[in-house]
Amino acid sequence: MIERVGLIGAGGVSHVHAQAWRELGRTVTVYSLDGAPELARQYGFELADDLDEVLRTSDLIDVVTPTPSHREITVAALEAGLPVICEKPLGATQADAVAVAEAARAAGLPVFPAHVVRYMPDYAALKAALDAGRIGPVAIARWWRHGEAPGAGSWFHDESAGGGIVRDLMIHDLDQALWQLGEVVEVYGVQSGASETGEPNAVAVAVLTHASGAISQLTASWGPRGTTFRTGYAVFGAEGMLRSDSDRNGPYLADVPGDAASSGYMPPQTRAVSPYTAEIAGFLDVVEGREAAARVGVDDGVAAVALAELVMQSIAEGRAIPVGRVDAAERESGELR
Amino acid sequence: MTKLRVAVLSFAHGHALSYARILQRDPSVDLIATDPDGSGPDRGRGAADELGVAYVDSYDDAFAWGPDAVVVTTENSGHLALVERAVQAGIHVLCEKPLATRLEDGTRMVAAAADAGVRFMTAYPVRFAAAFAELRRRVADGELGRVLAVHGANNGKMPGGDSWFTDPELAGGGSLVDHVVHCADLFDALLGVEPTTVRAVANDILHPEIDGRVETGGIVTLQYPGGVIGTIDCSWSWPDASPTWGGLQLEVIGTRGSVRVDPFAQHLGGFEATGPLWIGTGDDLDEAMIAEFLDAVASGRTPQPDGGAGLRTLRIVDAAQRSARAGGAPVAPA
Repeated sequence: MIERVGLIGAGGVSHVHAQAWRELGRTVTVYSLDGAPELARQYGFELADDLDEVLRTSDLIDVVTPTPSHREITVAALEAGLPVICEKPLGATQADAVAVAEAARAAGLPVFPAHVVRYMPDYAALKAALDAGRIGPVAIARWWRHGEAPGAGSWFHDESAGGGIVRDLMIHDLDQALWQLGEVVEVYGVQSGASETGEPNAVAVAVLTHASGAISQLTASWGPRGTTFRTGYAVFGAEGMLRSDSDRNGPYLADVPGDAASSGYMPPQTRAVSPYTAEIAGFLDVVEGREAAARVGVDDGVAAVALAELVMQSIAEGRAIPVGRVDAAERESGELR
Repeated sequence: MTKLRVAVLSFAHGHALSYARILQRDPSVDLIATDPDGSGPDRGRGAADELGVAYVDSYDDAFAWGPDAVVVTTENSGHLALVERAVQAGIHVLCEKPLATRLEDGTRMVAAAADAGVRFMTAYPVRFAAAFAELRRRVADGELGRVLAVHGANNGKMPGGDSWFTDPELAGGGSLVDHVVHCADLFDALLGVEPTTVRAVANDILHPEIDGRVETGGIVTLQYPGGVIGTIDCSWSWPDASPTWGGLQLEVIGTRGSVRVDPFAQHLGGFEATGPLWIGTGDDLDEAMIAEFLDAVASGRTPQPDGGAGLRTLRIVDAAQRSARAGGAPVAPA
């Protein structure tokens, strides 16, 4: 039983994790270089003075720090004998992600990369429908994800420090493409970007050729301040099609001039259980022995980071990149869930 | 007032019937049609009778009638011969898209029309959607900031199972030929530049019953000068069970915001006894396109989209086909 959770990091995504832990009734200790007292006060959590303290006093570590520190903190937690939930991407580089997977295997402990989209009902339902063959063999799939750009100057924009739109935003759909349509054999990417108002906007496109022959087109964009977050997909098979669009399928539409409640970073909360809570509950089911595996394991986290890196390589080199060899390396290092 | 004499040449392309219907009710037009290569002996005359359009038995008869303008709606591979014949006779041409099955044929057609000094228009009706015009205005006025990306999806049902659309000789290819051009033309109108790099991948998973004769699905990626990126999903991916033929969605993402355009979205949705019901309520885009052609012919100006637009988009199709054949290697348009 996981009683005490160490939450490391107190930035944007920490709130949905904090909310989940509160709903799941666990005792949380926060450690962060920045913002920990405010987060602890808001959610009634305890504070730790340093990493050692939080590792010493916790049964599980939840890492929601900026991407460049995921590897170091996750490995430290594993070495302290603790299972880890790590916000996506699992590592700033493929090498980092592989190192995390190796540390998990060495420790015999699970690491759950928080690919929350797997816990979003519209995506989970698609997976079930595709697995059941409802629309026949898939030919073409389009996945899209649009939101507000992170603030100028933040690490999110620094591709040399674990950031960039592909690694941070598109990675959700890279994981979806892999989960839903399987192994990828070729990757092609293009990207454009500009800073006009100080907010660095960007659009990235990836085209993935799956081993099945299916083609995935992924579009991710970081828009100006005030951009409405939206996400969706259209998947076309030989016997039908399935699509979902967050701004058309939503059960909640607000028209409140001057509304401060909207967020351009994340989808609005429209379900009794947030997907972040569902995701963390799914991980606890494994750690506490109720389930053998979660919907996402450490190998999936490695695969998504590896694919993101190939997309970025394709963007940089202006050519399509075959995947074969990298994929084999991932499988070798990523058997543990 | 002298009426403009217009001949519709062939009903091979389904759009011909729509064009003929619109021309037939235009009081300034004297219309005939011919469909000598029709699958059955009665396809052309039957359709013409139904529309109340005068019918002649051959292209020779149609040209002998002395048309001022022709609408060329044969199979794609038949455009070249009729367009050349028309323009050499000083006849203005509205040509169904894509202009040709080979880039060099398109180049010949456009050059021939220019040499003859006749009006030559490519049939791209989506250009005339009011929603697109509004998007175009906003982009031109800079209201979206700097354009970063243009995304198009032109998906529909596969044109009738056994039709020439899936014959590589007559059509020039599959969905890459049929459905890249509309989005490519809208991008052309929005950006005013041609792409520097085209990359395409295609497959034939949809409609296995045509045994891979042509590609049925494809994704095209474009890079334009100045860093603008573009995508086109040209797949014949709309299931046969759909109550509508398909549609075209366009999205432009700029530094100040984005706009999505869906010119065929306007409809009444519902159900009838046998399933879903879709009653389109959008503008008749063909009507606006024909009006542009007739006006350009009457006033002696260049219609838009002209043959040049048809050729620029054909260049993208040609590059996409080369890229797909090369297994997805990015290529430069010819």
